[in-house]
Amino acid sequence: MLKRLLKQNESYLAMLIVLLCVGITIVNPAFFTFENLAGFLKSYSMVGIMAVGTLFVLILGGTPDVSFTAIAQVVEYAIAVVTLRHGGNIYTVFLLAAVLGAAMGLVNGLVIHLFRVPTIIVTIATFNIYFGMLYVITAGKLINSVNPLFRGFGNYLLFPRTSPIGGTYGLALMPLLWLLTLLVGWFILRRTFLGRSVCAMGGNETAAERLGIRTMQTRLFVFGFVGLLSGVAAVVHLSIVTAVVPNIIVGHELEVIAAVVIGGASVFGGKGTLTGTFLGVLLFAILNNGLTLLGFSSYWYNVAIGVVITAAITISAYQQLRHQRNRLNVRVEP
Amino acid sequence: MEEFLRLEHIRKSFVGVQALKGVNLSLRKGEIHCLVGENGSGKSTLIKIISGVLQPDSGEIRIEGAPVGHLGSAAQTGRGVQVIYQDLSLFPNLTVAENIALAELKSRQSGLIRWAEVRRIARAAMARIKVEIDLDAEVGELPIGLQQLVAICRALTSELRLLILDEPTASLPKHDIDNLLAVVRDLQRHGIAVLFVSHKLNEVFAVAERITVLRDGESVATLPSAELTDEKLVELMTGQAIQHSRFAYAKERGRPLLGVRGLSKRRNFENVSFELCAGEIVGLTGLIGSGRTELALSLFGVSPAERGEILVEGNPVRIRSVKDAVRAGIAYVPENRLVQGLVMKRSVVENATAAVLDRLLSRLRLVDPEKKEKVATEWIRRLGIRVAHPDVAVQTLSGGNQQRVVLAKWLAAEPRILILDGPTVGIDVLAKSAIHGLVRELAGRGMGVLLITDEIPEALSNCNRILLMRAGRIRGEIPTVGLEPEELQKRVEARA
Amino acid sequence: MGSLPTAPLARWASQNRTLGFILVAIVVLMSTLNPQRFPTLGNFISMSYQLPIIAFLSLGMMVTMLAGGINLAIVATANFTGIVTVLVLHALVGEAADEAPLIVSLLAMAGGLAAALAVGAVMGYLIAYVEVPAILATLAVMTLLNGVNVVVTRGYTLSGFPDFLLAIGNGTLSIVPIPFLLFIAVAILLGLFLTRTRTGLGLFLLGSNPVAARYSNIDVRAVLMRVYVLSAAFSALTAFVMMGQLNSVKANYAESYLLVSVLACFLGGVDPFGGAGTLSGMVLAVVILQLVSTGVNLLRADPFFVQAMWGFIILVLVAANFLGARVSELRRLRAARLSTRAEDEPPGQA
Repeated sequence: MLKRLLKQNESYLAMLIVLLCVGITIVNPAFFTFENLAGFLKSYSMVGIMAVGTLFVLILGGTPDVSFTAIAQVVEYAIAVVTLRHGGNIYTVFLLAAVLGAAMGLVNGLVIHLFRVPTIIVTIATFNIYFGMLYVITAGKLINSVNPLFRGFGNYLLFPRTSPIGGTYGLALMPLLWLLTLLVGWFILRRTFLGRSVCAMGGNETAAERLGIRTMQTRLFVFGFVGLLSGVAAVVHLSIVTAVVPNIIVGHELEVIAAVVIGGASVFGGKGTLTGTFLGVLLFAILNNGLTLLGFSSYWYNVAIGVVITAAITISAYQQLRHQRNRLNVRVEP
Repeated sequence: MEEFLRLEHIRKSFVGVQALKGVNLSLRKGEIHCLVGENGSGKSTLIKIISGVLQPDSGEIRIEGAPVGHLGSAAQTGRGVQVIYQDLSLFPNLTVAENIALAELKSRQSGLIRWAEVRRIARAAMARIKVEIDLDAEVGELPIGLQQLVAICRALTSELRLLILDEPTASLPKHDIDNLLAVVRDLQRHGIAVLFVSHKLNEVFAVAERITVLRDGESVATLPSAELTDEKLVELMTGQAIQHSRFAYAKERGRPLLGVRGLSKRRNFENVSFELCAGEIVGLTGLIGSGRTELALSLFGVSPAERGEILVEGNPVRIRSVKDAVRAGIAYVPENRLVQGLVMKRSVVENATAAVLDRLLSRLRLVDPEKKEKVATEWIRRLGIRVAHPDVAVQTLSGGNQQRVVLAKWLAAEPRILILDGPTVGIDVLAKSAIHGLVRELAGRGMGVLLITDEIPEALSNCNRILLMRAGRIRGEIPTVGLEPEELQKRVEARA
Repeated sequence: MGSLPTAPLARWASQNRTLGFILVAIVVLMSTLNPQRFPTLGNFISMSYQLPIIAFLSLGMMVTMLAGGINLAIVATANFTGIVTVLVLHALVGEAADEAPLIVSLLAMAGGLAAALAVGAVMGYLIAYVEVPAILATLAVMTLLNGVNVVVTRGYTLSGFPDFLLAIGNGTLSIVPIPFLLFIAVAILLGLFLTRTRTGLGLFLLGSNPVAARYSNIDVRAVLMRVYVLSAAFSALTAFVMMGQLNSVKANYAESYLLVSVLACFLGGVDPFGGAGTLSGMVLAVVILQLVSTGVNLLRADPFFVQAMWGFIILVLVAANFLGARVSELRRLRAARLSTRAEDEPPGQA
């Protein structure tokens, strides 16, 4: 049992995270406080939610979807505008965001399935279409004030406490939503036939077809799901920032994809876990927070991620090579 | 015994090709029946029709006496007919339990998965053929013999009446072949009929009760296996009696071209020593998993050895890469022509000249297109490669012609030592003897040939001596003069 | 069985027929939409200044795609080259670099080129020796370089370059722009590389089937390594031309050009799975894209609209490719039905 645990990617990731936490706390004890932890969990909820969707895409077939940030951006804008004009409550907002996001994601799924093109090429195209058209329609305008319901949702705190300088802090709802998404994702992936179909298709799509698995529906589900989650992530983001800057979500694709890959998802498809995805995002959240607490400018974050990704993929590929070499080819007998 | 399946006058044509011209087949319940035929005889088409993937143009199909109307693979599965293709159609990233149970789960239309149920289904299937495989192992990590058993277990999860195995033993080591044959007999005891499609004649005879021979889209004979011999079978398959002439080696042994001493590589082979002289065709035979291909790949530089010596014409050489091997005069024609031997989408010229680009340079160290063209056309001519234009992609060529392109590639490199790994696998008998003739001619001109083969007749008729390999070591060396096929077969399969 | 027209010129013409039509169609379209400004000599000269930027990036992307990979870091490497060049420049002559002597320019460019080649070597090493999938390796390098570029420049734009440097992007030889001449020279050299060098020929085999290539005495690792270094060299070339034209260097210039270079490869007939593609196709594709870009710009189209348009064009191409393959498949089947003499054996199977 222990051996199997050691073999898993997630164990190493968890160890690395623990090491990082310890290291950062030693240098700056402010890291390991409720306020700080709750803070970065809240700000990384958006990335975390999008990562769940990206996990499904990677399991399905390896090449990542890069349009989800554009989808989130469009949805964010849309719901901001709609709620400014027509009001609404947080539930209708989530519903609208989910539906809109899912629809945009389905477009991806449809094109990829019908025309049999690599995911990355189609999603590069749709990214540019969604993002470009958003700018054309909105002329790049910011929306500075949004419907107060977002602030209400964003500021709702569990376990509220007062900090020494008078502000309140506590656990926001966003990390809980993130957790909910992880659980839902886990349930779908491990406990439903749909989820197993995704894994099966990722492993051997022709065999899946032969088995009678509905490949088109499964594919549409995956891309719709990513879109839906991107919509949800947009609401989360809007609730935190309470303003719409049309190019702020876009640019996070790398982070999300890298987090999922570091969490153990294979670029060849068929493999990946929710635990790993969570740990991957957590790692980046801690890195970001740690860098800030240690006094580095935010510019270094990209460099840090780049180094981490490069190291992770090198180690992973190297392990793969070693594994191949050590495979039992012939049982040599005396 | 009652009849389970009957096919009458099945005809099927594709665009421009009449694949099946009136095939009859009958299978009894619980029978082990073999379907043999050369490439292009229509075996795979027939299998697809039986399993419901394709519809016949005309003819009747009856299952248990009742005529079967419009077939579909799902319907046929419902009637208990399943096929295990050569690629096994498994999911390498999923566990054994899941692979076995997935088909059943799909047919139950269950939305939710209960893992306890999955394991139960898997265990039940394994129990039926008395095998035990770790339920949580990843199928991709299993050796291919076990993967095949997983595939069979999966077929067993539904009501199975007829199991069709498409070339099941093609890449199995001996131990697993025995296992498989035992499982097949076990299935028979359960009343499940098994249709074996194979070209490995010795296995066919080991297990089949009746054999149906297909040739050119027609079923030429259905006979009890007891009434057939190897020669008779080959004659039925090809329509002609092939004379196996034996290779006549020159009286005096030529100079040693290749000397191998104590060559070893962990998990591949151990302490291999032998010599190959000019003009010899030395056979290297043994069951799959004995290390033959691994040895060849070490000599060729793909997977360099860890210990031991390799001498070419008496001089020790270091072979750490393909380039080293080629420089030493060694060439290797690989087992898997499609994947390892040729780049399918590129032209005949490109493939034929791939190994010798170094020798086609003009001034400025650039490859001279004229020289390239000349080399390619010369070898096309010398090897009789039938192709409309040298710039067509090799994937449009027939199997035999494709193999000739691979040979051309290496002959252009003018090797001293030629290693052929299963050179005539999947090639029909006529093209086979053409290639054998070619190889003998090369030996006659002073090349040293190491012929790795599974097929006893091929080894016997082409080699002057045979090296036996088993479990990573050379177990013996036998001159072929006066050697009978049964004797060789026995020694190959011997445990000690 | 294939039927190919044997004369090379005829073959070239038939393979590039579609692209040729598209080219002419675009020229006509743009001229109609913009009769005063598009079909003028001035415009064509202006386009020939900008063309090399798209062209070099696309060619750099092409060679990696031929090898079955991709280079997502191509633009980041170009920006990195520019930044390093400027750093060397400032290190040698301080901030007032406009008056720097030729030797300094050359040294700075050498520095930039060396930086690019180093990046290419790192990517090549990861992909060829550690066997990291190209998408991941170049994505990682792109992230790293983007980060480094931002850290070094702190988001600022750097400018002030000596004349020699500017001339590469901006100068002319009589009326022909220097970058255009550079492009022609490079295209010819690349053509030679792809068809007459061992690495180039090996590239096509490798991209289509790396296993068979290895078994055919092609040094797969060396070829892959060279390909990524070559791709980085193209990034460097792009950087020099961009510096000359924009007279400045920034951390994230030309980000959208990554998309355009992929688009160009697609349009130019490069198989994204590797092993197929022609230089002539690429050249035509790049010209077409430049025509579209300029034409749309002259219409004062919103640059974001243009971005969306590129995305849309990719989708159209994808659909066209797919339908085109279907059509030729049907055509092939019909031809087979009509052929009377069958081959001696059916197409080879395992």
